[in-house]
Amino acid sequence: MQSSSQKPLSLAQQEFLDRALRVNQAGELAAVLIYDAQTPPIVRQNPQLKDLMKHMYDQEANHFQTFNELVAKHRIRPTLMYPVWRVAATALGWSTAVMGREAAMACTEAVETEIGEHYNRQVQTLFKWAQDVEAKGGQVSGEMKELLGTLRRIRDEELEHLDHAVENDAKEARPYEALTGVIRTGCRAAIWISERV
Amino acid sequence: MNTKTAVRLTRQLRHPLPLQRTTIISRRQVVPSSTSSYHSYDHPTPPPYSDTAKSILSASLNHIPEHGFTRKSLSLGAKDAGYLSISTNLFPQGAFDLILYYLATSRLKLQDSVHGRDGHEQQWASGKIDVKERVKTLVFDRLRFNKESGVIKRWPEALAVMAQPTYVPQSFAELSRLADDIYFLAGDTSVDTTWYTKRASLAAIYAAAEVYQTQDQSAQNADTRVFVDSRFKELESAQTGVSSVAEWVGYTTHSFINVLRSKGAQI
Repeated sequence: MQSSSQKPLSLAQQEFLDRALRVNQAGELAAVLIYDAQTPPIVRQNPQLKDLMKHMYDQEANHFQTFNELVAKHRIRPTLMYPVWRVAATALGWSTAVMGREAAMACTEAVETEIGEHYNRQVQTLFKWAQDVEAKGGQVSGEMKELLGTLRRIRDEELEHLDHAVENDAKEARPYEALTGVIRTGCRAAIWISERV
Repeated sequence: MNTKTAVRLTRQLRHPLPLQRTTIISRRQVVPSSTSSYHSYDHPTPPPYSDTAKSILSASLNHIPEHGFTRKSLSLGAKDAGYLSISTNLFPQGAFDLILYYLATSRLKLQDSVHGRDGHEQQWASGKIDVKERVKTLVFDRLRFNKESGVIKRWPEALAVMAQPTYVPQSFAELSRLADDIYFLAGDTSVDTTWYTKRASLAAIYAAAEVYQTQDQSAQNADTRVFVDSRFKELESAQTGVSSVAEWVGYTTHSFINVLRSKGAQI
């Protein structure tokens, strides 16, 4: 049963976690579909990238599964935009892959930059909550510790993908600013919408 | 405008519709917790009702078969709980607060019917009973609570109150919570668009079954069970139909793209 030594979560905390996990699940869905759509055209033109694409896809699939389990476990409503994000992510992955390897890597770079910042903010918030609890002499619950650990690990893996993308000539894409600008704005809009809808 | 009309209008202006005079000190005092949010396992959830409200409302439930979902039941309940009958001012929505309390407590009783003593948990742990069967079992349990508490003969009045436009959003929220609770207790873990379609269809089936139950005179509500079974069968055939179409579309699209790729198209 529940440990009664813990205080109830405030409404603000519950809302934060509700939104955070919903957005994270939507984000990983998009990531999985982007890699899925990018892989066939990219690997055809650049067979040397096959292992890298598979490695990144496997990690994203693992993240997606993690968040699916968390969303089900904590009874969070998934985003209503699920089918819309499915189409949008597949379209984004496919179109950047058809534009070329550099464009696909620039897409990955843009998405991972936004996602990395987004996870980092979540980690900071959860870390601050943990610090507040400990400052008052309490003990951080196992649930919060686990959540914090999971988010940290996933953030680090997303930043690793960002590094891989840059190593593979993401910055050589043309038009670099326009492409990454549009994708980053799109990501931010999608995050904002998924938090609420 | 003649004098008669002018007088009639003035009277109307001088006696407008009475405004709600009751002040709601804390809605949280009487209203169950808000719509679904993060459910924690290590952190407790604060109880939805204050102790005073809970004692009055639970005492009022016993008076429902005789007096229905009315303020009379509430004041009798307040007297039983040892409060003055004026304490019903704690419930600005009157009969509707009693209805909400009945809905919330019956919904929470489902947890006991799964995890409590002689609960379904043991039977379900073997893994042989699939989610659909568990959902049906929980729907039957919830309908059985209506009959056992004697509430079902007063339920048409409650439905009339719940259908009032002011109360529709809260009634609908309770129905959504019920559908969500049933799927959660049945162990459903789908978190894509089917999360919405499953809960919407279950809410519709349950609402229809409850209305059917109000006029069901058969022993042990056997006719209602048959009604629920038919609704679930219809739902299943609709779901199979939709998923077959979706599968066909997906397969055709992939095949088309692969054929183009085999012809050398750089996609």
